[in-house]
Amino acid sequence: MAAKKSGVKVNPKQRDKEVSKALEGIGKEVAQEIMKSQSPNVQIPVRSLSNITFNEKQKQLQLGNAMSKRSFMNVAHSRKFMQTMLVTSWINKELVKEGITTSLRDMYYALKRTIPGTKENTVEEQGESDPIVIDLETMVDVLREELHLNADVRGRVVGNVVIKDRGDKVNWAKLGSGGWSIPSNIENIEFDSVDADYILLIEKNAAFERLHEDKFWKNENCILVTSQGQAARGVRRLTSRLSQEHNLPLYIFTDGDAYGWYIYSVIKWGSMNLAHVSDRLGCPNAKFLGLTMTDIDTYDLADYTIKAKDVDMKRAKELLQYPWFQKPEWQSEIKMMIKRGYKAELEALSSKGLRFITQTYLPDKIGNKDFLP
Amino acid sequence: MAETADNIFKEFREHSVAEFFKKNRQMLGYSGKIRSLTTIIHEYVTNGLDACEDANILPEIHVKIKQLGNDHYQVTVSDNGPGIPKTHVGKVFAQMLAGTKFHRFVQSRGQQGIGASGCTMYGQITTGKPTHITTSAKKGKVYECDIMFDVKNNRADVSHEVDYEGDLKGTLVVAEFKDVTFNWSEYGPGEYLRRTAVANPHARIVFIAPDKQKFIYERVVNILPKKPEPSKPHPRGLTVDDFLDYAHSSKERTIKTFMTKTFDRVSSAKAKEVEGLTSIDFNRKPDSITWKDAEEVVDAIKKVKFLAPSTKELKPIGEKQIEKSILNVLEPDFHQVLTRSPSVYRGGVPFIIEAGIAFGGKAGRRGNGDAKVEVMRFANRAPLLFDAGADVITKTVNNIDWRRYHLKNMDSLPISIIVNITSTYVPYTSAGKQAISDEEEIRKEVTLALQDVGRKIGEHLRREYRKGEKAAKRSTLLRYVPETAGAIATLSGADKKKLELKLLKMVEDKFKNSGKADEEEGDE
Repeated sequence: MAAKKSGVKVNPKQRDKEVSKALEGIGKEVAQEIMKSQSPNVQIPVRSLSNITFNEKQKQLQLGNAMSKRSFMNVAHSRKFMQTMLVTSWINKELVKEGITTSLRDMYYALKRTIPGTKENTVEEQGESDPIVIDLETMVDVLREELHLNADVRGRVVGNVVIKDRGDKVNWAKLGSGGWSIPSNIENIEFDSVDADYILLIEKNAAFERLHEDKFWKNENCILVTSQGQAARGVRRLTSRLSQEHNLPLYIFTDGDAYGWYIYSVIKWGSMNLAHVSDRLGCPNAKFLGLTMTDIDTYDLADYTIKAKDVDMKRAKELLQYPWFQKPEWQSEIKMMIKRGYKAELEALSSKGLRFITQTYLPDKIGNKDFLP
Repeated sequence: MAETADNIFKEFREHSVAEFFKKNRQMLGYSGKIRSLTTIIHEYVTNGLDACEDANILPEIHVKIKQLGNDHYQVTVSDNGPGIPKTHVGKVFAQMLAGTKFHRFVQSRGQQGIGASGCTMYGQITTGKPTHITTSAKKGKVYECDIMFDVKNNRADVSHEVDYEGDLKGTLVVAEFKDVTFNWSEYGPGEYLRRTAVANPHARIVFIAPDKQKFIYERVVNILPKKPEPSKPHPRGLTVDDFLDYAHSSKERTIKTFMTKTFDRVSSAKAKEVEGLTSIDFNRKPDSITWKDAEEVVDAIKKVKFLAPSTKELKPIGEKQIEKSILNVLEPDFHQVLTRSPSVYRGGVPFIIEAGIAFGGKAGRRGNGDAKVEVMRFANRAPLLFDAGADVITKTVNNIDWRRYHLKNMDSLPISIIVNITSTYVPYTSAGKQAISDEEEIRKEVTLALQDVGRKIGEHLRREYRKGEKAAKRSTLLRYVPETAGAIATLSGADKKKLELKLLKMVEDKFKNSGKADEEEGDE
């Protein structure tokens, strides 16, 4: 079934019907196979690195065509097949048809029970049921939120934006110090008015607080987002929609290390695990603002760097190999980091004074368009 | 009056037999309280088995050990043999080196002709009491007597003789011993009899232990083992001393005829070939051979090729027989046995190795708790309980990589490994005759035999494992059927019962024909 394209508004009730039909379609197919005495099976796109490609043109990680077959009659698969059916059936009956949204944890508890006549549970731990949801997303090409399941809720936003959320009008400029907490499901958010020149996404919550306190968004007329670490689906979907629907540049501001740069990479090109929804979560127009190794020289931060650990070096060497990090600018940055053997947190800028970020660094970088691609 | 040389010599000889025994107790198996008791049981049981077999009677041996006090036991052993004629009772039970097997080149269980006389002597020197014999050599006639060992004259001192009418069959010995102990260790009489039963499926053995526990090892083979035949020694096994002995006791007129008549595989042509390699005239009389001559001949023999010794005299237990006794005594879950073809060690001594492995059931050594692996060693069917560490069989077992045969943690498995060597001359490491020496050819044969049975056991274990695996797969699938059918029914609107029945049938069909079960298994 065709996934909902970004920006195209669909009646949520209508969408639920489509999703439900797709899920029931899986059931009908396997039921038919059983009645024909064929081993019931489902085909699931392979989500390992081997089946992930980088589309240069669309600037996205994309899932390849490799499929794996999960068959009940194969002893190695039968338990997972049973769980797939349990998850699919439960999501359809209890969530999509009822219009109820819940968490992965709730689903795990709802499905967990002892298989009659055994000492085995239908699902032993959440680690068993979670991946099946991703399986379903790729199988029927829907978003997790369309299955009425919430992903992690993390991330906040402030700015001159008014939205409609479940009938409420919310003005992001008038939410005090906390800002708007970004939910998992962004699909049904409507943007009433958007008044900003660009979006600034900050990895760290502390820096977000600092910028918010200085009214940076008001002064610079931008939307300020914090992902609070690796960006959750809500943050990614929100920035994706905002930047694409309202044609806003998106600047990413993270720590100067391999992990920070990878956060940027996920937001811009997509992640390996969710490569199937790169087109909905990706922000191909995102630009990397900082911290870069060059910044450390420009702003004389060498004294405030941290010695890179083995894992940092290893991660950096991995980035060097990824097809989407092959731009010369990135290659030179990563190689510089490996050569120097240090990293820098974005708080290092505070060594120049608490307002150095808001008054010097950010205006400089943005004004000079000093970004990495 | 000055003593004559004769008298001195006589005195010396009279003392020597008793002295010999006392000083060499340990050499004859009387070392340690447990081992002494096992030796006593061994001597009596061996005598009984031999007596029956000599008379073509299927043996039935009863052994009873009764505790009378601290380290003080009464032993009763009876057989259903031909009985012992009155005139021979003394010789059997109280004359050293009087056995019928001494100095014969024949496969036999026995030790060195000390046997039952040693028991009489041991009982006598530890308790001062005689050995009581009841025997019937003629139908309906029973003869009873007490026997003491007249050490001075190396003969029996018979007393309390009684003759009466009765229908006893065979011989019954009752004797008391001190300085002996009974226990259930792998060195004790209980284990000795269990192993005797394993190697003698044609015998019925009943054992009543001091704690009144009764063990009955039923006869499972109703055919007597073929009697081993005396054979001629093969020239390649000869030492210079042996050769000289044979030569000097020969009545042949020439060395040549002496050689062809006395030794196995020596034709006139071969004798001539040997002669050609020496400076000796083979037409001389054999008793004219000197030590130096003998050395020359034995050297020459090494350079000449002889046919391998004849092995027809060897009578192994036999695969079927071992199998039956394993099933009888060990009741294993599974087992394998093998009798190898005859082979030869030291160039001239023929031998046959038999091996068996029993797994599960009563196999393995049970101490406190779980069963452990045990190695049962036999020489001409007689169990060897002692000096295991020095034995070529133990060494070979330890050198085999049992993991190759699906036997991991071999030590803690309920396994009995059985090895019997059949030979006209078993090479022991010492006079204790409890460990077989590490002859290269014997080690090789034992290794091949154990590897062969090991391989078969391994194949069996693999099959069992696969069977178990298949059953586990089937039950896995069956377990998931109801939940899967239920979920699909809810999702698709199809009938749950129908889906469930279809799925169950598919699972059963899959495991009905064995071949298809393994297709398309693996990870996604």
